[in-house]
Amino acid sequence: MSERRGFLKFSGAVSGLSIGGGFPGPWMRSVAAKVLTGKSTDRKILVVIQLSGGNDGLNTIIPHRDEDYRKARPKLAIPTSDVIPLNESLGAHPALRPLDRLWDAQRFTIIQGVGYEKPNRSHFESMDIWHTCSSNRNRSRAGWLGRMFAESHGSSGADAPGIHLGSEPLPLALVEKSVPVPSIGSIDQFRWKSVRSASRGLMAPGSQSKEEPRDKASPAPEDLLGFVSSSTQAAIDASERIESALGQNHPDFPFPDTPLGQKLRAVARLILAGLQTSVYYVTLDGFDTHANQLTVHAGLLRQWSEALSAFHEAIIQGGQSDRVLALTFSEFGRRVAENASQGTDHGAAAPVYLSGPNFPKLLSGEAPNLTNLDDGDIRYCVDFRSVYRTLMEEWFGVASGGIIQGDFPKLALFS
Amino acid sequence: MSADKTISRGTKWQRIDPALAWETWSASAEEPWDSSRVALVLRRAGFGGPRKQIDASLNLAPEELVSRLLLPTNSNIYQEFEDESQTLSKSILASGSMPKLVAWWLHRMLKSPTPLVEKITLFWHGHFATGADKVQDVELMWLQNQTLRNHALGHFRDMVQSISKDPAMLIYLDSASNRKAHPNENYARELMELFCLGEGNYTEKDVQELARCFTGWEIRRKQFRFNSYQHDPDRKTILGNTDIETGEQAIDHIVTQDSMPRFIVKKLFHFFVCDEPEPDNDFLQPLVDEFVSSNHSVKHVIMRILTSRLFLSGWCIGKKVRSPLELAMELLHSMEATTNLEQLGERLRMLGQGLFFPPNVKGWEGGRAWINSSTLIGRANLIYDMARNENTKFGASSLPQWCERNNLRTPASLVDYLGATLFGQPLDELQRSQILSKVNSDSYSWHRVLEIVGTIPALHLS
Repeated sequence: MSERRGFLKFSGAVSGLSIGGGFPGPWMRSVAAKVLTGKSTDRKILVVIQLSGGNDGLNTIIPHRDEDYRKARPKLAIPTSDVIPLNESLGAHPALRPLDRLWDAQRFTIIQGVGYEKPNRSHFESMDIWHTCSSNRNRSRAGWLGRMFAESHGSSGADAPGIHLGSEPLPLALVEKSVPVPSIGSIDQFRWKSVRSASRGLMAPGSQSKEEPRDKASPAPEDLLGFVSSSTQAAIDASERIESALGQNHPDFPFPDTPLGQKLRAVARLILAGLQTSVYYVTLDGFDTHANQLTVHAGLLRQWSEALSAFHEAIIQGGQSDRVLALTFSEFGRRVAENASQGTDHGAAAPVYLSGPNFPKLLSGEAPNLTNLDDGDIRYCVDFRSVYRTLMEEWFGVASGGIIQGDFPKLALFS
Repeated sequence: MSADKTISRGTKWQRIDPALAWETWSASAEEPWDSSRVALVLRRAGFGGPRKQIDASLNLAPEELVSRLLLPTNSNIYQEFEDESQTLSKSILASGSMPKLVAWWLHRMLKSPTPLVEKITLFWHGHFATGADKVQDVELMWLQNQTLRNHALGHFRDMVQSISKDPAMLIYLDSASNRKAHPNENYARELMELFCLGEGNYTEKDVQELARCFTGWEIRRKQFRFNSYQHDPDRKTILGNTDIETGEQAIDHIVTQDSMPRFIVKKLFHFFVCDEPEPDNDFLQPLVDEFVSSNHSVKHVIMRILTSRLFLSGWCIGKKVRSPLELAMELLHSMEATTNLEQLGERLRMLGQGLFFPPNVKGWEGGRAWINSSTLIGRANLIYDMARNENTKFGASSLPQWCERNNLRTPASLVDYLGATLFGQPLDELQRSQILSKVNSDSYSWHRVLEIVGTIPALHLS
């Protein structure tokens, strides 16, 4: 299972050069800029799928033969007869059946036991930690992807480096003051009804043209008005670009009629229409299964697996499969022992899933050890920042040192 | 560092003496009680108002104006409104329609003689966020709304005791299925993290112990019921107190933590004063003291904020991003308008502020989170559609008729009217001329003027 087909031509070369450093020198930055602003054919794309609420990793990738698992989950354990076997001890939740084809084609990999030191069991804190790479409560309000954009993209006139598809607020992971990232509820509603030119030239004060000098100092981007003005400009640019890209080229593929299915359909359309965007971000909420978990969880996993499978199918059909990688994560797993409501409370480490290009291994990290728990929760063996670092350096070929502080080794995901 | 004696819009909070910031404002030659200040009060302590109301309010002292937004001055008008609203709610509960319930609350925001009560109820809805998508019961959502309104201005402890037994809340955070054999931690965690203390002010052990206190708190026939068979009667240790058994005792102990007043006051500050910047604890200490000395009276803190020097100096103007609801409501109020409120409720949900459908238990993040490419387009489109919707009436008439009645005879006069009532900072000459340059002065339409105003970035700030 260790061969991998030819891929990552460009990013592989760059990661070779960046070994040992991870420092964002000017040279690295220019290479990075080339990666993120290069031609659409050689540019890598990352699609982040966030499972909000804390996905029960233990009932997703299941140690179904483990006695301790059955004891801790008298009502919620998935029986051996139902799981999709992955190896001799682990099986996948039956709702992941649609991912079969990705597994068989070695286009899927599972990193087990991903988390971080001193796990925080608040949804919001833990999500912020995953988004910013920092457990410090006085962390800056900038996300790991936003910082990657700022370091590598600059303010060139290409498409936005990232796009968030969804009606929830922009995920913190994409936030960075100098790089506005558009958030798109749905492509169909992403059109100005009033004549667009009406808003042109109305960015004042803050982004008014040079021919119209003003007495007052322009507000800085950190000023609220400056923020609203630059966001308006970004909205105008993005809606124009998307309209024209989809106008020329309108590939569309069948997707499940579910919230996540429709979001990933939109992502696929934008990618296949040739948008120059490097990162797409979508979320699927509802994983906070404190009660009546069995049916709810199965439904959510099915929604995810069907949408993800349809997405990669569309990308493969569109001939883009080697440049599109999807990362699926959740802010934490759930407590090993179930509660009285046939649900589970907040836990700690859980698997992270990558899909799209070829991966030599289906499973990495360590299977959950239920005899050595941390206050009832699974201990982490892979820090999530190692996953990020690997994606930044191996996938995008950008240095991660300015974004991830600390010693988090890269993972051998791709070779 | 020496503190500034006067507060102006550009003064950094670090240079403002907290004692000075929160003392009572009084009019002076430099800071007269003018229409811009009145408009600010009407926006923050309600949902804005038309020029008439601004003009009429100039005769009231600031504290009198705030009081009137809070307590009915004319009990007949108030009673008439409440009777009408009650009748309406009965038919809505009978219909079981969530969109109608949303419209019912929007109607209250549009017509209530005490809009500040609705505003603070909205604050608590975002604070004790409960989603109808999980509760799936119109009556219980309505009931919770009544509970939030009844305690909106009262003592915080009473609010927490009531909301902890509120059926919609118990369903939303799975408290209703919390049994002694395996406690469910959901409500216990959010009570401390999001409702009372803030993250970092309790331990995981406290969460587990608190969950035990709430075991046996159930819903039976849509009402709270204590099931002693499912309740864990043993002693629990919560936040250092080893002598706690019941959920009520636990709540009473939690609300006396030092972190509680700081947590709640900071949130009220951001709701009424500004999204940014984030001041330190010292800056808010006078408000915290007020909250503590009044036995955690919400009304005391809000009155203190809204009549303070910091607030009425105008320092906070333009420092808040309008929520979608505020944008729509303030536009309607400014032009004495009504529209199809069911449709509006649905549009607000698409813009990220569905009443009774908060995004999660943390409620609406507010501030910059309201703004992104989609919502900016959506907001402009909302104003476009509202202006053209045949159900939108301006003072019970059409837009041209309303303009005529208000003596607005040119596009410029309508722009100036909106500038004075709706915009946080008055429109400057450049913005004004930019707007007007988009309007064909020979064959303009009033709708077109509104539509263009809907695309201006400054419109999104209050």
